[in-house]
Amino acid sequence: MYHRASIRGDYRDFEDVERLINKAIGLRGAKEDLCLLKANLDFKLHRVDRVKSDLAMTPRLAGRPEGKALMADLLFQVGRYSEAGESYRELVRESPSWDNLARLAYFQFKMGDVEEAEKLYLEAEDELTAKEMRSYAWLELQRGVLDLTYGRYDAAEEHYRRADRAYSGFWQVQEHMAELLAARGEFDKAIELYGRVLARVPRPDFQQTLGELYAFIDEPTKAEPWLDRALAGYLESVAAGHVHYYHHLTDYFADVRPNGPEAVKWAYKDFQLRSNYGTQAGLAWAHYANGDLHDAIVFIELALASGVREAGLFSLAAKIYRAAGRDLESEQFRSKAAAINPHFENFHVHR
Amino acid sequence: MADHNDPNAVNSIFSDIDHSPADLYDLFGFPSEDTTGGEKVVIALTFASVPSAGTLDPDMLYRIRIAAHPRVPSLSEANHSLEGLLQYFDAVKEKYLGELKSSEIRVTISQDQRATVKFFRFPGGNFSTTIDLNKVTTLSTPDGHEIKTFVGGRDDAFFNDLPGFFRSINYAPQFYHVPHTMTEARELPIPKTLIELDGNDLFNYDPSNPNLGVTVKKDLPPGPWTWKGNKFKKDENGNFRFVYSGKDAQAGKNVNAVIVEVPLAFITRSPESNRIVNCWGESWVLKAAHKVESIPDHPLLLEHPWALLEAAAEDEELKKYKLVDTDGQPFADAALSEREDSRQMGANNFWLGPHFIKRLAHLGWGFGPSISALGLQTSFNHDNSPVSVHKTYSLVAEAFPRAKKTLFQALNMPDDSWNRKGLDIPLRRPFEIFIPNVCAIDMDTTGTWPYGRRLEDQVATRFLSMFLDMEAELNGRKYHIETLNDQALWDGAPIVPKTPPNPLKNDAEFLKEFRITTSSY
Repeated sequence: MYHRASIRGDYRDFEDVERLINKAIGLRGAKEDLCLLKANLDFKLHRVDRVKSDLAMTPRLAGRPEGKALMADLLFQVGRYSEAGESYRELVRESPSWDNLARLAYFQFKMGDVEEAEKLYLEAEDELTAKEMRSYAWLELQRGVLDLTYGRYDAAEEHYRRADRAYSGFWQVQEHMAELLAARGEFDKAIELYGRVLARVPRPDFQQTLGELYAFIDEPTKAEPWLDRALAGYLESVAAGHVHYYHHLTDYFADVRPNGPEAVKWAYKDFQLRSNYGTQAGLAWAHYANGDLHDAIVFIELALASGVREAGLFSLAAKIYRAAGRDLESEQFRSKAAAINPHFENFHVHR
Repeated sequence: MADHNDPNAVNSIFSDIDHSPADLYDLFGFPSEDTTGGEKVVIALTFASVPSAGTLDPDMLYRIRIAAHPRVPSLSEANHSLEGLLQYFDAVKEKYLGELKSSEIRVTISQDQRATVKFFRFPGGNFSTTIDLNKVTTLSTPDGHEIKTFVGGRDDAFFNDLPGFFRSINYAPQFYHVPHTMTEARELPIPKTLIELDGNDLFNYDPSNPNLGVTVKKDLPPGPWTWKGNKFKKDENGNFRFVYSGKDAQAGKNVNAVIVEVPLAFITRSPESNRIVNCWGESWVLKAAHKVESIPDHPLLLEHPWALLEAAAEDEELKKYKLVDTDGQPFADAALSEREDSRQMGANNFWLGPHFIKRLAHLGWGFGPSISALGLQTSFNHDNSPVSVHKTYSLVAEAFPRAKKTLFQALNMPDDSWNRKGLDIPLRRPFEIFIPNVCAIDMDTTGTWPYGRRLEDQVATRFLSMFLDMEAELNGRKYHIETLNDQALWDGAPIVPKTPPNPLKNDAEFLKEFRITTSSY
């Protein structure tokens, strides 16, 4: 059920999974495989505070390769990058499985060592056989994301197409392909593809993206219904006690329908869950939207101190510094963003 | 489990691993009874019938590797030392990595379920052909030989009491739900034994749950998974309880197989002197990246069912695949290498030599005392321990003195029928059987194990006979590799059930078309 929910991408399915895991633990006790599944689920749903206690439910789980990998992901997720990097390297030394290689690749990608990231992704792919095509498709997707992030659209497309051949009809590939089409300015094709994705996976974050795309091409009347639906979906999720859309609500109120106090409210909630460069940047952007440049600078500097090198982060910093009248720094960060991705101002998805 | 469920990456005994067509089961090899036109050798590589018996997986590539050489004299008595043994491993390594180049039969399956069979590095050159599955096909080679070939589904030629073996080594995944990640819950730290230990509640036969470990698994209770007893279990009549049932766990099960009957003169230009045909099997799975490329079958092969191959083509093809499993000797991987993924070395398992000695000593501390308790003599030096002991070794120098006799003793055969020409062929000894991990077929014998492996050989029980003292006698006859297969022995032993450990015969014939006749042994 966990795999089915992951493939379907509908977060509501995970509620059923969670109920089943808890029931199974109640019936069979805290078995390692169940606790690992529970920890993975909590991690996926941004409930990072629970992950450690899930792993601690059985004495040996945190020490197993799977437990260690999740702990390393947790370190990354809570912004302890140096420790996360060391843990990933240690994992690869101990067990150079495809997923551990991919973890380290992602870390290197975020830290700006693209060459190393690509090498590691290739090594990860070489570990996979024809019996693991979904994993291979996922890796190709990550390689495509890397290329897209660096503005290499043709290379990204090639990876997305390979991912699609490896695991045809995978909605995640279509969703990324739609983003690529929009970034390239092929808006009609992107809209058509987003429509297909939404027909299968009616998630509010994708509804927001389609709404934003319509807004981007100056079609507000088409944008508004999607944005309304997205907001309704986010709020429904929050009302049910879920936390995984806090980040999207921050973006929504900072960018899509600017509402400074609301943006700051959701950004703080997300930041309290997991203080990482993404939530720090989100909080900075929310403060910026709220007109509080002092706090915006505090948090963007915190995010920049993470060591992450992303065009999106640098572009955000450039905007905040410019608004604060610090034009020299603004220009520096704008140049850095452009050096990573010359097309960084093209359409992109808030993830 | 000659090689069933090995390595761990394809070990479907774990609760979270599916059956895999990469799981090689057995490699059989023996001289054919059909000598029309010259001697021939039959080689059969069997593997899991996934997706089903008779339908093969197009993502797989199977290799049978073959190398013929003269029979070499056994290690002299003077060299029966640790130093001598390690030197022997080194010498064999040089032979396999240096002078000995293997020929190869390679099989891949197309999407339309036809098999492409390629022959590489045989004296007559490389060639390839495409055949139908599930049919015996006679191939003509470029140098005029005929090779009978079969690729498809068959009854599993292996017959043994799988749960019994796992009970003997306290292998938890056979009895309990154990995911492959729980590495400490495989062979539990309980003495290995042939007869049940008093109070070994995790593994002893439970009359209220007779199918535990057979068709039923339970949740593994919390540890410690140890044993605190000090004696073997006896019933009210003073009988020990056998861990084996003698039942064929593979009865009714099918496999897929690659089977060939190859003229010796096709394998070697010197069939008169190269009397030993070494062979081993490998399974490879297509890498994901190459699956995406969806390369169609080579048009040359489709248009010309029989074609000569470029020598360079073989390595380019192999680069697209990943090695999963190897199989040469029964039990070399599963019992002696503990199924570790990293120990799938095939013939190149020389570096496992020291581990092999330590592992044999570990097994000896388990099986040796239980053999003694039954009133039999053991080759393992357990200092007259009254009960099996769980002991592991980190130093080979400590393990070696215990296992020395087990390693070096000549394995007696029950009569001379195996040596069909009455030649001066030395009896084989365990150290030379398992390293290198190949099926070494002696063309002057019937090919019965350990001079090859015939379909009717009860190798699981013969493997256990290594722990018998081959100098001892039973009813005036020296122990031999079939001693434990003798029903009379069990009838007179204080044990229940009164049965040889494993079934004596397979439930179904494997294949008739290769004129296999049952040898005495």
